[in-house]
Amino acid sequence: MKKVAFCFDLDGTVTSQEILPLISKEIGLHEEINLLTQITLKGLIPFQTSFKLRVKLLSQISITRVKNIVSGVALQQSIKEFIQNNSDDCYIVTGNLDVWVGDLITNELGCKYFSSEAEYEGDKLIDLKHILEKRSAISSLRDEYETIVTIGDSMNDCSMFELGDIGIAYGGVHEPVESLKKMSDYVVYDEQALSVLLNNLLP
Amino acid sequence: MNVKNVVICAAGLGSRLGLDTPKCLVPIGKHKLIYYLLELIKDIPNVRIVVGFKEEEVIKYVRSIRDDVVFIRNSNYSSTTNAYSLHLGTKDLKEPFLTIDGDMILDPTSFKSLLTKCVPGEDLIVITEAKTEDAVFVKLNDKKEVVEFSREPFSKYEWSGVGYLSNIKIDKDGQYVYQVIEKYLPIKSAELTCWEIDTPQDLNNTLNYLSFI
Repeated sequence: MKKVAFCFDLDGTVTSQEILPLISKEIGLHEEINLLTQITLKGLIPFQTSFKLRVKLLSQISITRVKNIVSGVALQQSIKEFIQNNSDDCYIVTGNLDVWVGDLITNELGCKYFSSEAEYEGDKLIDLKHILEKRSAISSLRDEYETIVTIGDSMNDCSMFELGDIGIAYGGVHEPVESLKKMSDYVVYDEQALSVLLNNLLP
Repeated sequence: MNVKNVVICAAGLGSRLGLDTPKCLVPIGKHKLIYYLLELIKDIPNVRIVVGFKEEEVIKYVRSIRDDVVFIRNSNYSSTTNAYSLHLGTKDLKEPFLTIDGDMILDPTSFKSLLTKCVPGEDLIVITEAKTEDAVFVKLNDKKEVVEFSREPFSKYEWSGVGYLSNIKIDKDGQYVYQVIEKYLPIKSAELTCWEIDTPQDLNNTLNYLSFI
């Protein structure tokens, strides 16, 4: 059995910007998506509902165009380096869509991931096939690892923190939600400090 | 500088002081208590603070001074001791660390000199002239090593609560930190001018001394 797994939320944890608002800027739906993102981060509407709405709004853009936008998203540099250096035991656990963020994760971070899945035809997004429940990602790693470290910032990370062993609420991009902080062992606001901590948690 | 890691325990209720505020946030001079501590360690790269009682307030204040602190949550702060907080704060650390209580005022000159005495690989117990109400007294041998701790006043020195630990692991079941360290004695000592604020009397005494604040 392997020793320690690191499970990272993607948006606003590994990325320095929320990805969906970034996409929405391109098609003039920024206000709508931003509002939905804000109230979701605060836990006012469930991630699932919000995500369905947001995907519906954004589905009019071609997948290739979204991928292009996503490929330019800024990443938290020292977290990226940690993931690259420990890619075998790092996982991105994101509610975001495989067709949108899969390439970014594979190309920029080089680790495995759990994500929501889309139904698509060629370059067109048809619908959501499956929305990731983050707890299921942790359960599926349980047999493989002794310790699971979870790193996140928002409401939908709570289920992953619940099943993980060590929780780190990360506020480098924005303040972590209260409920998540209450479930965490560490609260960190600085990228470099997080990187030092992650290295300490390596076996 | 040799010291790379500092762990500050600031989780407790501070019930003996009797204020509805964490001791590290008690106003002293122009600032709150922990400000002076953070000022002294501003060049030390890795700072960890164990928080519990009113953690949000502590985190907010500390962040107004320095944003790169790792906060470690002791959510059982009301039923656990400082030793447990220190265990949480250090269990994953693989490097030597300096531990300081969050309710301490340290004399800047004396602290700078202490930092030069911390040597990675060695342990150091930091002692001070006994003055707190429930002191843990230390007995020294002629090499100035600590050979015994006691609640009995058998010397003029007490353990300050500060230590530089390279080889000592703080396990989670210890009642008091000095009881964990006891097993490793004798350990080298160094002196520090400092004050710990446990009771209203400590607070008054300290305020009278502090010309630098």
